[in-house]
Amino acid sequence: MAKLPTPQQLIASRPAFPKENWMDIKPEFKPGSYCYPAQKKTMEELHMPNPHDWDPSAEDWNLPENWEQILCDAFHDRLKKHRSLKLFMDICVRCGACADKCHFFLGTNDPKNMPVMRAELLRSLYRRDHTMLGKILGKKVGARGWDKDVVKELFYYAYQCTECRRCSLFCPYGIDTAEITAIVRELLHEVGLGIHWIMDPVKNCSFTGNHLGIQPHSFVEIVEMLADDCETITGIRPKTPFNEKGHEILFITPSGDVFADPGIYTFMGYLMLFHELDLDYTFSTYASEGGNFGSFTTFNMAKKLNAKMYAEAERLGAKWILGGECGHMWRVINQYMATYNGPAPSCMMDVPTSPITGTKFTNAAATKMVHITEFTADLIKHNKLNLDPSRNDHIITTFHDSCNPARGMGLLEEPRYVLKAVCNNFVEMPENTIREQTFCCGAGSGLNTEEIMELRMRSGMPRGNALRYVQEKYGVNHMACVCAIDRATLPPLADYWAPGVTVSGVHELVANALVMKGECKRTMDLRQEDLPNVTAEAEEE
Amino acid sequence: MNALEIFRRHRDELCAAWVDAVFSTYELDTKGFLRTKKDPFLNPVGDMTQQCARFLYDAAAGEDLTDEQVRDGIARFVKLRAVQDYPASHGLGVLFLMKNILRGKLLPLFAQADMLPSYLEAESRLDTVALMAFDLYTRDRELVLEQRIKEIKNQHAQLVRWARTVDGGPVGGSGEPKL
Repeated sequence: MAKLPTPQQLIASRPAFPKENWMDIKPEFKPGSYCYPAQKKTMEELHMPNPHDWDPSAEDWNLPENWEQILCDAFHDRLKKHRSLKLFMDICVRCGACADKCHFFLGTNDPKNMPVMRAELLRSLYRRDHTMLGKILGKKVGARGWDKDVVKELFYYAYQCTECRRCSLFCPYGIDTAEITAIVRELLHEVGLGIHWIMDPVKNCSFTGNHLGIQPHSFVEIVEMLADDCETITGIRPKTPFNEKGHEILFITPSGDVFADPGIYTFMGYLMLFHELDLDYTFSTYASEGGNFGSFTTFNMAKKLNAKMYAEAERLGAKWILGGECGHMWRVINQYMATYNGPAPSCMMDVPTSPITGTKFTNAAATKMVHITEFTADLIKHNKLNLDPSRNDHIITTFHDSCNPARGMGLLEEPRYVLKAVCNNFVEMPENTIREQTFCCGAGSGLNTEEIMELRMRSGMPRGNALRYVQEKYGVNHMACVCAIDRATLPPLADYWAPGVTVSGVHELVANALVMKGECKRTMDLRQEDLPNVTAEAEEE
Repeated sequence: MNALEIFRRHRDELCAAWVDAVFSTYELDTKGFLRTKKDPFLNPVGDMTQQCARFLYDAAAGEDLTDEQVRDGIARFVKLRAVQDYPASHGLGVLFLMKNILRGKLLPLFAQADMLPSYLEAESRLDTVALMAFDLYTRDRELVLEQRIKEIKNQHAQLVRWARTVDGGPVGGSGEPKL
């Protein structure tokens, strides 16, 4: 007689106490649990060390022959170079304050996704080679040596961390687990291990200026198309200055906003705002990607991609840089730029100053780069914009604090100030999920790739859960954000966890509300969808 | 005492038992946190499980709930199970853990009161909830796949639009966008 398993047997509850030490439990590489590897050709073109073909699901990752020596040397080198890393390796007391703060842990329930454990993966290697106790007592004090399974484990968990730094906020010692992840990724690149969705944009940004590798003339034509769309909506075609010398401002924003929905509407918002102000600015096709994909790779790569922004500002003779709604661009600017490439070119203005209001952005004196929401908030504060927030009355919006601007530069008030000026209906998500405590979209730091969509849905669950709450309680139907990766990753997350909520950048809503001089009667929003309450009136006219 | 009263009397205890049974399927290091953290936003998995427990139990008990109320009540938990790294049998199988709990505690009481048919009806209602969850689960899985396709399209939306305007381009162009 056939004997079917009971539901309990199917579910196979875990034993009361784990049989194995955490070091002996290995991750399983199956489709959906890892990002596609970078192509050998891409790594060669970027002169990355040890480029090779490999498959994460294969037993053998084709590591170079002396892989262990390479990794040991690289780790030793990083410990010497970054005093912070050595400190982070030494001072953790494993109190667990960070454990339940990570969205990956909350979503996956995998103990190795607790930030403390993720760091322990590297710390255990540190103990063996760099501490006396570890050298003598080995595994008894949590030390272990390198082996190929350890390399696989590091890869698995380094790409299940979005470097959002929420855990650091709660660490009593201030350990920045994101930097530990960044170092682990850097070590893995030493033996030729990287992922496609990061390395391909790095290559494209290096050679053609934008993350998709679109040639400059095509890039310009796409922007022209967006300007045409602005004209369809407003009757005014905004100017699109490119690579022009002698302008006061160089504007740099993520190229994702030129290619991808719904980012394009934010980009159109910039075009309309700058046209209305008659701003003295230019775009650059060379520095057409603000997002620094290099920061997900190695510090040197981040430095290189950051440098081109300043090189272009110098070449074009810009006095300062205005930066669009981006995430990691701002973290690199605020935390690393001065060390990487500072000081900024001497031809730039001492303190970036708004040509419209005269406000001096002293906070940007070192970087010469002002965030677009700082710029717009200042315009609104000085009553320089004619706004009709009722055009956004069909929207009840909340605001998602993007991790990097929130925790990396403290940009908390300006986006809210702008949003409240252009939308009459604004609702905050629960306080322990916003501002410094914001939950990540679940796919930052180069993880916004579709092959791990399921993983993204669980890692983004804490954000989706808070969004669903305000949707049900307050009827929120919109979420604004100031990051291009968010604009790419939050729509699927919202579709899954809070269907019916749309996502946009802040400047899409600004442009919807902006009353431009000489514009035609607005009947459509920037998405060319009918504006409620306006259509009937317009038809009568 | 009627069947509903018996169910109501043991509601808190049996809901907690089911929640504990679900938590026990997670790793030991995870279980403790799920049980102790009460904030719905800092412990969303715990909150979703607690909410599902209440609706699962009330539906089985025969409380006055509409299909829609039950669906809404278990939807978040099913969404979670649909993207957690489990086979479908594991994802939804946890709902059936309630049967064992009911059999252990309530079946003897119903047998004693000579109310076995009422008990069997409750188990059947549990099966109905599981089937409703199956519908939700399938829809959620399809949604994940739809998002993958949608994202690929969105990433290159403007590029494709532009390519269509280029004469002799790879997707054919006549000078006008064809959208």
